[in-house]
Amino acid sequence: MRRSVPARLTWLVMIAILVVAGGVALAADTPRKGGVIRVGNLGEPPSLDAHWTTASITETLTNHIYEGLYSLDNSNKPIPMLAEGVTISKDGLVYTFKLRQGVKFHNGKEMTSEDVVASLARWGKQSVYGKALFAQVADWKALDKYTVEMKLKEKSAIVLISLAVPNNFGAIYPKEIAEKSPPEQKVTEYIGTGPFKLAEWKPDQYIRMVRFDEYKSRNEKPNGYGGGKTAYVDEIRWIPVPEVATRVAQVETGELDFADDLNLDAYDRLKTNASARAIVSKPYYWLVAVMNKKEGLMTNQKLRQAWQAAIDIEPIMKNVAGGKPEFYRMDSSLAPVEIAAWHTNLQGLPWNEHNRDKAKRLLQEAGYKKEPIRFMTTQEYKWMYDFALLTKQQLEDIGFAIDLQVVDWATLVKRRNNPKEYDVFTTGIGAFYDPTHAVFLTPSWPGWTTDEDIQRIQSELARETDPKKRMALWEQQTRQFYEKVPVIRYGDLFGLRAARTTVRDFNEKTERVRFYNVWLEK
Amino acid sequence: MGSYLVRRLLAVLPVMAVVATVVFLLIHLIPGDPVSVMLGPDATPTQIEATRQALGLNRPLWEQLVGFYGRVLTGDLGQSYFLDRPVSRALWERAEPTLVLMLCALGVAVAIGVPSGTIAAAHRGSAWDRGLMTVSLLGVCIPGFWLSLNFIYFFAVRLGWLPAAGYVSIFSDPVAALRYMVLPAFSLGFSQSALIARISRSCMLEVLQQDYIRTARAKGLSQGTVTWVHAFRNALVPVVTVIGITTAVLIGGAVVTEIVFNIPGLGRLIISAILRRDYPVVQGVVLVIAASYVLINLGVDILYALIDPRIRYD
Repeated sequence: MRRSVPARLTWLVMIAILVVAGGVALAADTPRKGGVIRVGNLGEPPSLDAHWTTASITETLTNHIYEGLYSLDNSNKPIPMLAEGVTISKDGLVYTFKLRQGVKFHNGKEMTSEDVVASLARWGKQSVYGKALFAQVADWKALDKYTVEMKLKEKSAIVLISLAVPNNFGAIYPKEIAEKSPPEQKVTEYIGTGPFKLAEWKPDQYIRMVRFDEYKSRNEKPNGYGGGKTAYVDEIRWIPVPEVATRVAQVETGELDFADDLNLDAYDRLKTNASARAIVSKPYYWLVAVMNKKEGLMTNQKLRQAWQAAIDIEPIMKNVAGGKPEFYRMDSSLAPVEIAAWHTNLQGLPWNEHNRDKAKRLLQEAGYKKEPIRFMTTQEYKWMYDFALLTKQQLEDIGFAIDLQVVDWATLVKRRNNPKEYDVFTTGIGAFYDPTHAVFLTPSWPGWTTDEDIQRIQSELARETDPKKRMALWEQQTRQFYEKVPVIRYGDLFGLRAARTTVRDFNEKTERVRFYNVWLEK
Repeated sequence: MGSYLVRRLLAVLPVMAVVATVVFLLIHLIPGDPVSVMLGPDATPTQIEATRQALGLNRPLWEQLVGFYGRVLTGDLGQSYFLDRPVSRALWERAEPTLVLMLCALGVAVAIGVPSGTIAAAHRGSAWDRGLMTVSLLGVCIPGFWLSLNFIYFFAVRLGWLPAAGYVSIFSDPVAALRYMVLPAFSLGFSQSALIARISRSCMLEVLQQDYIRTARAKGLSQGTVTWVHAFRNALVPVVTVIGITTAVLIGGAVVTEIVFNIPGLGRLIISAILRRDYPVVQGVVLVIAASYVLINLGVDILYALIDPRIRYD
């Protein structure tokens, strides 16, 4: 059947409209270069030396300036960044890294093996993760301009993941800078290979990072923290805004394009704003009460078990999350769901039992006579104070005596290093990407987990390279954890961020924010 | 007058010595540690010890105090642990925002306080008097942060007339700088104006009872001339004292305003320095604030003599 002329005309017009509309839609979704993204964060970094501190603000900022040999993909597994790849000898003792060629530092110099050797040697003396790795390293040297070799004392499972962690990370600096500052002193020049270079740092006003035009991106697509990186925005301006209510208001007015670490009560207000978007950030922290296992009352395992048996976690989490179910999750796995490789689904763990009889029995067996337990927390992080307060109420209900000591953060982090000054303290456990990086299972971190069985499994985990066997060990460790109770695991808490709707292609899946590959709509 | 000035300036030295010692001891004796803060939550005690050693924080307190005196006497306030720069530079960078905020807020406080106090006194017992004094009572009562947050909500978020927070240097863009200053200057100036209004009113009332005011009125001068020409200058001395105190308060006490409106001034610096235990910065800021108190007081004393020729310093 032949169509009439008017009908064909209608078709033509409709197709034309579709093509034009599609083009416009496509244009609106095509990343464009340009603009300044203004990001409100809560304060000043103690340094822009990635090797030097574990502070999360330093982690966020420095990952835009520097890169390491490895990075994390979207399933939080190591992928090469400045390394082209690695060959591992049959006995597993020699790692030979090939470096990418033609990668430039912000000062114009090409990155070569001597920079890598000097930087990681420094990192290995100062960083938490670097020290753990370099304790196993027998020899670390350059073979030629683009090849470095790491010889190990024994087989290790943590080489690549340690080089990939974003916190306190193995950033590659030019050799001259890495060798100039001893590890315990901060570097004072900030030169990396990253997609942004530091342009200006005015404390309490802003940190300006501008696009590094000679950045050599990997060819892969963006993948987690790694893969290809493109600096679409001309500049990232990090603006410290210590007052959280002001951070929210400035996103609402458009003075900021992005704000991190907001109070959860801003969620409803943001949802009603047409030009801003609320982002739930996960993983954030699981809440934790860390027990002092070196001295004092909590060296008594029964007492720790009583605490674990007593608490009713859901009402605590609900309260801390301001009654919003979007912001907490009940989970007993030591690694959060987002770290899929290490998330466990074990049944029958004594987590969230809120079993009063069991708790009372354990108290009796512990020989506890209502001695006050010094529980240290801070109001600087509201969620810490809230969960400590609710815990105190629940525990006192079944016969504990809790001496809640509310101090400022600077006092808490000082006192927790001294086993004489406390029994329990609050903090949060953020993402860790390998079981050996779980600080609360180490004997060196405050609280001092020295339990022999836990330490034995930790060292096996560090040596074992077969992924299946490692997972089995990790499950065994999780069961040990709930029996020995080095710390008390509460629920997962999520954070809140806000972005203007003009901020595009922001990766919501990573623990900390990244602004490469992000572009601004006009 | 010259010898008086020299005596007063010499008296500054013991005051500053006491302030320096007290602030040093106070900040060092409260618990907390800059290194534990700087190295972040996952740092181990061994790492923290090594860095404390490198910063000289493990030396005995008296040794650190002697070192501090030595440096201060040579005009060196030390190096900030956190900011990687000399304290004097950190202070200098934050002096401009604090001074601009202080001048604007003081302008607002005086522009509201003095006329409303004077008008209230001149119309004692009238609706004007009651109205103005109620407003000034509100100014004293309303907490600064509450007023500031509401200003932001209404004028920036709802109406979009002014920026919510931030700071632009007056030297780089004077118009934008003023726009950013309006909300903080009003929220700070309003509460400070209350005290000035109340003092102006009571001084004015006292002066208006004087015989020479009755004489002026008897001569047939208008109410305005009597109030502003004959009474006003005589009521000024206590008002200048209050303005002087307000100025000093604004230099060190605009902490809340600076934080809420994100103004990078001395108030914000000292709060963050205390939270991080950045000892040299805390000491430096307190010394500067103490010095400005002393000097402003001296300035006020000199102003007395200019306002009231009966006051002489010999």
